[in-house]
Amino acid sequence: MAEEIQKKFQKQLELFQGVQKDIKKAVTQKQQLDSQLNENKAVKEELKLLRKDSEVYKLIGPVLVKQDLEEARQNVSKRMEYISKEIKRTDDHICALENKQEALQENLNKLRNDLGKLKLKA
Amino acid sequence: MASGSGTQQIDLNKLPLPQLAQLKQQLDQELTVFHDSIQTLQMAKNKFGESGDVLEKMTPDIKGKPMLVPLTSSMYVPGTIADVENVIIDIGTGYYAKKDIESGKDYFKRRVEFVTEQMEKISMLGAEKSKLREAVNALVEMKVQNELQAKKANSS
Repeated sequence: MAEEIQKKFQKQLELFQGVQKDIKKAVTQKQQLDSQLNENKAVKEELKLLRKDSEVYKLIGPVLVKQDLEEARQNVSKRMEYISKEIKRTDDHICALENKQEALQENLNKLRNDLGKLKLKA
Repeated sequence: MASGSGTQQIDLNKLPLPQLAQLKQQLDQELTVFHDSIQTLQMAKNKFGESGDVLEKMTPDIKGKPMLVPLTSSMYVPGTIADVENVIIDIGTGYYAKKDIESGKDYFKRRVEFVTEQMEKISMLGAEKSKLREAVNALVEMKVQNELQAKKANSS
């Protein structure tokens, strides 16, 4: 009986650790997206400040390619929208993972209690 | 798990030792992040400042002067300066904008100001966290002492 619970405990623990790793990964991803969003914000501000006849280039590979200012503005806005959506998705993902982690934690606590009780009896 | 903004509202005196230790660890981690951020920002600030300084040297009388253009970090070709009125500035995410010298200087000035502002914000947050950490530290110390004393009283 005790062995069975021990095995179950081990399995749950592995699951728990897996979820923890996933959370860490998701959080890192979110941070990355956040910094991308911030960079885009700064670029958007800068493009807003430019005069209408200013020349804007985009770095594509090793060359600078001339861009239409209006197009560049739209491009940045679009990218910001996309990143915001991505951040929201990651947030939801983190939230779901955290719920899962909590459930697993409870399971683990229960199993540990059971084990303790069995040991006391033995 | 109460983390982040809710932390201040919990009465620290009521927390048991392990949780205090955990809180302290968390604060330590956050402080490290702040420290790293400030360092990175300082580096960015230096870079922007440097670029701004270089613009000071872009005067009309260097027009047509010879220069060496780096093709790689160790190979150069000769060239002459054709345009002393405009520079092309990296404004982030792969976009570059052509600006005249004055607006270029203005751009770097603004960037330096922005970064300085962020650094100030972070140092303020850091100071607050640092204070909290000290409080937690003192509390941990006190609790440990109390427990030791209780043990002594029990055994004697």
